[in-house]
Amino acid sequence: MATTLEPDVHPPYAYAGYRSTHLRAPAQPLVRVAPSPLEAAVPAFPKKFVAEAEADLTTWGKSAPLGEKMVLVGRVLDEAGRPVRRSLIEVWQANASGRYPHPVDDHDAPLDPNFLGKGQVLTDDEGRYRVVTIKPGAYPWKNHAFAWRPAHIHLSLFGNSYAQRLITQMFFPGDPLLTIDPIFNSVPDEGRQRLIADLDLEHGVEGVALGYRFDVVLRGSRATPMGA
Amino acid sequence: MAKPTPSQTVGPFFARELLWSDGGKVLFPGRGDGITLTGRVLDGAGAPVVDALFETWQMDAAGKLPTASEAPRPYGYGRVSTGADGDYAIETVMPGPFTGPGGETYASQLSVTIFARGLLKAVRTRVFLVPLDAIKDDPLARAIGNPDRLRTLVATRDPGDPTHYRWDVRLQGAGEAVFIDV
Repeated sequence: MATTLEPDVHPPYAYAGYRSTHLRAPAQPLVRVAPSPLEAAVPAFPKKFVAEAEADLTTWGKSAPLGEKMVLVGRVLDEAGRPVRRSLIEVWQANASGRYPHPVDDHDAPLDPNFLGKGQVLTDDEGRYRVVTIKPGAYPWKNHAFAWRPAHIHLSLFGNSYAQRLITQMFFPGDPLLTIDPIFNSVPDEGRQRLIADLDLEHGVEGVALGYRFDVVLRGSRATPMGA
Repeated sequence: MAKPTPSQTVGPFFARELLWSDGGKVLFPGRGDGITLTGRVLDGAGAPVVDALFETWQMDAAGKLPTASEAPRPYGYGRVSTGADGDYAIETVMPGPFTGPGGETYASQLSVTIFARGLLKAVRTRVFLVPLDAIKDDPLARAIGNPDRLRTLVATRDPGDPTHYRWDVRLQGAGEAVFIDV
């Protein structure tokens, strides 16, 4: 057969190494349809939905949170390289000890009263965003023996259409835990690198915070060319 | 062409970060017929999925796209998490039918996206708020064909309370909902 299907950039639903997929992954093939007029549009977040201070996760407490302060910058683009403008990005993460302030997180690591681990920001007219936070810690989970999640920051994005809605995770360069993480490794080989941020010293703050860069590319619809 | 960023699971720890108070109450500037949609998200063993992020996006009562919001949140968009029984509840207005770019008619429906621990990428679908025989010409109904599969996307109207619709979502196995690739 000469037909080659474009390899999927996303992980499959069923991934043997990630236990929680076993009973949650749909078994039937997806039905491919053109996006409805709804799915070609996107919920409009009012400007006042996001306060500028929400892009800095380090200023919520009485004093600075524990951990290595960092600046995360990047751009949100579509597959054609066009900026995704004024689009909501929500971020959340564990604290420097690898603990979430969440009732079901039973990891025996300290909470940080000065760190809530959540923030949000709108991209600018060039698709750029900038978030100030601390580097999250790794934490154990019960997927398999000695399972530890590599440090990661969760990102939730809307893009320009509901069909582009994406939730993903950003990882740190050189993390040895990446090799044992089934969630990261569920991504087809060539896509994994796109989940790892680059060290970007110039976007840090001299003597204060390390800079990292994480660009996000949102796919266009398969059925309708972007901008059509 | 730049390559898309791969999806990753929302994980179990999103609730405080992504949920809004009253996120299940969908906002609209105008009026419409108030309805509630409730149901459960279930896994392949029929067990409740207690940590799903359940989102809805819809037209207004006249079948028009919600406009830029004057409210604190976007119009037409609902976001809740499932509870201890896998249950969710969305309070909204009945969306009108609408027309696609090629003149095709979309029946009254919500676009639904579900994220969860164990879902490495979201599942997307559409739930119909009118009976099976009223959606024959809908583009998704045509694409699915098989009425047994299609039935997984039709909400049931409560005979005792006509403003209440019920829709369970089975992620896997018998009665597995149809999920779409748009």
